[in-house]
Amino acid sequence: MGQVGRVVAAVGLGAVLLLAGCGSDDGAGVRSEGAASGSGTGSASGTGSGSGLAGQDLSGTTNDQQVLKAVADYKTWVVAEVDGLVADTRKFTDAVRAGDVAEAKRQFAPSRVRWERIEPIAGLVEEIDGKVDARVDDFEGVTDPEFTGWHRLEYHLWEKNSTAGAKTFADGLDKDIATLDQQIKGIEFPPPAVALGPAELIEEVSEGKITGEEDRYSHTDLWDFDANVDGSKKLFELLTPALQAKDAALTAEIAAGFAAVDKSLAAYANSGGTFDSYTALKADDKTRMQAELADLSEKLARIPGVLGLKG
Amino acid sequence: MSGDRPAEEQPARLGRRAFLGSAALSSAALGAAALAGCTPDRVPRVGPGRRVAFLGERQPGIDTPAAHFGLLAAFNLVSDDRARLARSLRDLTDEARGLMEARPPARRDTAYPPTETGILGPGMRTDGLAVTLSVGASLFDDRFGLADRRPRELVRMPFLANDRLDPAQSHGDLLLALSADQPDVLLHALRQLMRRTRDNLVLHWMLDGYNWPDARPAPGRTDNRNLLGFKDGTANLDIADRQLMDELVWVGADDGEPAWAVGGSYQAVRIIRMFVEFWDRTPLNEQQKIIGRDKASGAPLGKDREGDDPGYAEDPAGQGVPLDAHIRMANPRTPETAGSRILRRGFNFSRGFDAAGRLDQGLAFVSYQKSLAKGFLAVQARLKGEPLEEYILPVGGGFFFVLPGAPTADAWLGQRLLD
Repeated sequence: MGQVGRVVAAVGLGAVLLLAGCGSDDGAGVRSEGAASGSGTGSASGTGSGSGLAGQDLSGTTNDQQVLKAVADYKTWVVAEVDGLVADTRKFTDAVRAGDVAEAKRQFAPSRVRWERIEPIAGLVEEIDGKVDARVDDFEGVTDPEFTGWHRLEYHLWEKNSTAGAKTFADGLDKDIATLDQQIKGIEFPPPAVALGPAELIEEVSEGKITGEEDRYSHTDLWDFDANVDGSKKLFELLTPALQAKDAALTAEIAAGFAAVDKSLAAYANSGGTFDSYTALKADDKTRMQAELADLSEKLARIPGVLGLKG
Repeated sequence: MSGDRPAEEQPARLGRRAFLGSAALSSAALGAAALAGCTPDRVPRVGPGRRVAFLGERQPGIDTPAAHFGLLAAFNLVSDDRARLARSLRDLTDEARGLMEARPPARRDTAYPPTETGILGPGMRTDGLAVTLSVGASLFDDRFGLADRRPRELVRMPFLANDRLDPAQSHGDLLLALSADQPDVLLHALRQLMRRTRDNLVLHWMLDGYNWPDARPAPGRTDNRNLLGFKDGTANLDIADRQLMDELVWVGADDGEPAWAVGGSYQAVRIIRMFVEFWDRTPLNEQQKIIGRDKASGAPLGKDREGDDPGYAEDPAGQGVPLDAHIRMANPRTPETAGSRILRRGFNFSRGFDAAGRLDQGLAFVSYQKSLAKGFLAVQARLKGEPLEEYILPVGGGFFFVLPGAPTADAWLGQRLLD
């Protein structure tokens, strides 16, 4: 590569001068907002197993009354979801404690639904995600005592087909969800964090659910998929009046994007609110869903910009 | 057909033999040229500001000067809707043009995601970027109503000699072939192109790598070497010879192809794994007989210099270049085989190692020709059973057709196909 390096070095000054002459001062060449509209990229972190909002500086604020109302309504909804989550989780953990493997397996996916709906915002409660929803990949192995929560129990139930040794993790899950329940009411919901929520949830689907990694033992990933989409859609609907006023076209595109994802997932939904196993997901459908989710992510990522919400 | 590109953009291509490969060219001269105006014929032909013209009757990246790095990305389409396909092609056209012409990105409030990756820094580097879009045979199935517009020879690439085609790295509805003098420019371009088309294009396979383009391209010599250590490209077609390009590479009006396809070209892509450890422990004498050239100099065996004619007519017994040597089977240099010469624009790749601990290295072979039957397939048929087969394994790729270019600012790639 030395030869290349010399050539580049020799013309370096020329390149600088060239840029000075052809740079962005030439307004005629600047891409219009319209042309770039397909280009918004997902800024959601999508890191690890979830709580992408934790650790960000979210002190920004807004005077937009429609946004403030959406945030307040969202908090009310989240608090109610967490209340329901306590009871749902209890049905699951009670079955584990009773040693009823079949019932525990039945309650596993339903117990996670409300959690998956609110997951990113729940991440504002410190360390909660790592305790209740970490995957085995975050640990040296399944025997690591730090590997706790739903997926530890999932491992016992499906891989070992037993509740032996699982009761302590059931107790721990109840305790952690109770902590979430106590703390969520007192946590401030910064508008910039809320505005990132819809994108965060879809990023969750793209990163973990559509790949079948989240619920690798039970293959109930499509339950989580649906819950993530539900949570994202709920928040989008609450933000819709504020969005509609600022960017009606984007608002319509997002609504269409949710409709497309819902339609694709409906093929795997059953009466009674249950979902097919991830193993039933056809390769073509998976590919299409990945594109639908990616496209939706690009659009949702523009919400903070449209609403002018900076963290 | 040589006057089909806007006149002021022509010098950016090699057609005028104006390629300035010399580092002796002073930066002051380039700077002065740049300041004098921003017309494309004043942009530097080397370095970060090197530009390849996007607009033209033919797409760039084929008869334009080679670059140091290459990337192939094959996509499948999600939607069966022809209008959505058209929109995706329009978006790809606009983005490719913006990237190749260093169009400044839109600025938005910082509450938005940035409109571009930022990996190239604040300047608009192009580094000779060329974006070439082609279509696979699958585009002409029953999804888009294009079956009657399929280029005559465009079929799904069959298993040819010695092949073990992996479906996960073969075929595709669309193929983007990117080339530039810096690898970050390729990654930037790929990300920008993909974010414009998320709703419809799904990656099927991709591969990237490098080659060693000649500072002063000339027929009969090359600096480029493949990962077998041999010169590769010595006898490649001269891209500056426009008559030759029209004769062998570009589809013309009299070639019996659909009218929309004029100005396009067939593209054969072969991901060829090389068993480099096995090769490295093969005697040099054997390696040279398998290829037909001296490994160091590139001279045909029995000759002195790289550019020497191998003299097959005077050596019917193969005492110099063996009869089954790669270069002799690929191009016997007879009047009858002159029409099967192809333009090669591949690159070397390295992508880790396999389950047996062997390095996964090889050649992303890419050839352009106006007829697959007369070009790549004729060459491939002659090579069947060559001794080199023991050391290589084609594992992927596909047949594609390069769309005609976008000649004007309001044209888009594939417009004539879909209209």
